[in-house]
Amino acid sequence: MALPKRIIKETERLMAEPVPGITAVPHEENLRYFDVTVDGPSQSPYEGGTFKLELFLPDDYPMTPPKVRFLTKIYHPNIDRLGRICLDVLKSNWSPALQIRTILLSIQALLGAPNPDDPLANDVAQRWKEDQNAAIQTAREWTAQYAKV
Amino acid sequence: MKFARTFKQHLLEDGFPEHWVESAISYRKLKKCIKKVEEELSEIGLDADTLSLLLKTAEKNQGAGSDTEDQEEKPFQYVLSPKGSRGQNEEKSYPTKFQPKLLFMIDEATGEPLHAKLSPETKQYLHQLALSENITDIRITDEQDDPKANPTDRKNSLASTNSRSYRTVEVPLISDSQFFGTLQSELSGLATIQKEEEKKLSSEVEDLSNVVSKMTKPKDSKSKHDLQQWRRIFELYLDSRIFFSTSERDPWANNYERAAKGLGNFAAELQKQGLYDDFKSKEGALALHKFLNINSELLQGLKFQEINNMATMKILKKFDKRTALGATSNAALIFQQTPIPASLARAVCAEISNHLLATVPQLDDYLCPVCFSIAWRPVRLQCQHVFCIRCLIVMQRDKQDHCPLCRKKVVMEADSDNLDDSMSRFLKKYFPEEVKKKQKENERAAGRDTYGELYDEKCRVM
Repeated sequence: MALPKRIIKETERLMAEPVPGITAVPHEENLRYFDVTVDGPSQSPYEGGTFKLELFLPDDYPMTPPKVRFLTKIYHPNIDRLGRICLDVLKSNWSPALQIRTILLSIQALLGAPNPDDPLANDVAQRWKEDQNAAIQTAREWTAQYAKV
Repeated sequence: MKFARTFKQHLLEDGFPEHWVESAISYRKLKKCIKKVEEELSEIGLDADTLSLLLKTAEKNQGAGSDTEDQEEKPFQYVLSPKGSRGQNEEKSYPTKFQPKLLFMIDEATGEPLHAKLSPETKQYLHQLALSENITDIRITDEQDDPKANPTDRKNSLASTNSRSYRTVEVPLISDSQFFGTLQSELSGLATIQKEEEKKLSSEVEDLSNVVSKMTKPKDSKSKHDLQQWRRIFELYLDSRIFFSTSERDPWANNYERAAKGLGNFAAELQKQGLYDDFKSKEGALALHKFLNINSELLQGLKFQEINNMATMKILKKFDKRTALGATSNAALIFQQTPIPASLARAVCAEISNHLLATVPQLDDYLCPVCFSIAWRPVRLQCQHVFCIRCLIVMQRDKQDHCPLCRKKVVMEADSDNLDDSMSRFLKKYFPEEVKKKQKENERAAGRDTYGELYDEKCRVM
């Protein structure tokens, strides 16, 4: 099936005006599949790290949200071991007016504002609540270990 | 030395109008002025080295002492204060004149300067000043030799009851006043020039807008062709981002160099796409020529502004280096007071996009936010957000009730009353080709809905 105009336009704009700290490059053989990197926001435990993600646009995109997953290991209460992300705009609060760039910005913002009250990784969230400093320290260590290029 | 020459060269060779050149910052004159200030100050033993040394010791004392602000630890103060007190009914149109002041703390009782590090010449001079201003009538005697008596007492000096009281004496700065006077009047002169230029360019933009809008009003095939041409020209213009870049990476105003490059690229692209003389109406080529002229004039203005800003900055830096008085930090104050419009480019570009570019509707402003194609046929939801009918149908079929833009629950209730007829007419008039194409796409998509995916291939000969 031909690629919808919307996806073509989004891709073009991502290339022409990339979002600072974020890259998204489509695969040549499947233009709905993107290799993504997101830089950890400054003043967060993920600062200095570059995180790899994969993003896939399903057939009925933009009526349904893109599927996004972290490939780089990350210690975060809303991201589980498999890299799945708990973020409202990726699920119930998706709107077809949102775009790849806005979603990736939301994910970057999630790194800057972890929300242990709505956890996906229960153990991490638990620790985040009990001993935030230690949890942040672990997040920092994981960033240094896995997210440095 | 070097800058003075390049500055002059720019002024002479860059083809600025004569009255601009005359109003430019008189760098050389100001430099001479600085020299005089220097002489004046060193006459009373306050050359740059002494002053900067005084400042440094003052800073050290401050750093070492408690963290409370301690004005009195500063041996002297250099302020640029508005000249005289302004009356209530004095108008703002007169920019405040700045009067530089060099203030020294002296003992009220003895007239002796408070700082031990001052050279004998300076001490003597300050004392004389104090005498002449009748602050004290006691001569300096050698016994009075404890000026930095008790640093802790000093903090509450002025208001205190237990320590000595202090007064300040003002050292008259004649050449210095001259320096700032000159600089300031030149800056306001430049501001006037800029205002004039802004006015002139704005009215040119307005005239041009009228011409273009008349030319592109769709009524016959001739004007429809020209509408397309102008749309492409303006699209290219916007894409070139000559004076401002709107990208998220650096959303700032471009400097001269980048703007010049942008304008060059724009002109080259026009040439390449053969847009220069492909107009059906006679005024087309002339109007485009005018448009380019406005832009290059704006570019000149930008350059003129830039070199003058540079000259101002350089001369203030020089002033600081020679006198150590710290004028650059005060300069912010001057710029604030003298109404130097931030940028000529900003004002005129706003005019261009509000008037001129608006005469030719751009497709980008009429896209459906879901499919990114032209919003045909436009459906206006109760929240006033507009989508194409195709995307609305799909949303309703998916039972997605929330408006994609504002999340209001208004999608399901939409029906044929929500079709925006006046916008339909507008789109048809200004974007006939895009509408036709989108209409076909919509029909095909509807066919697919009814007959399945194979609908597209119905013409295949079996």
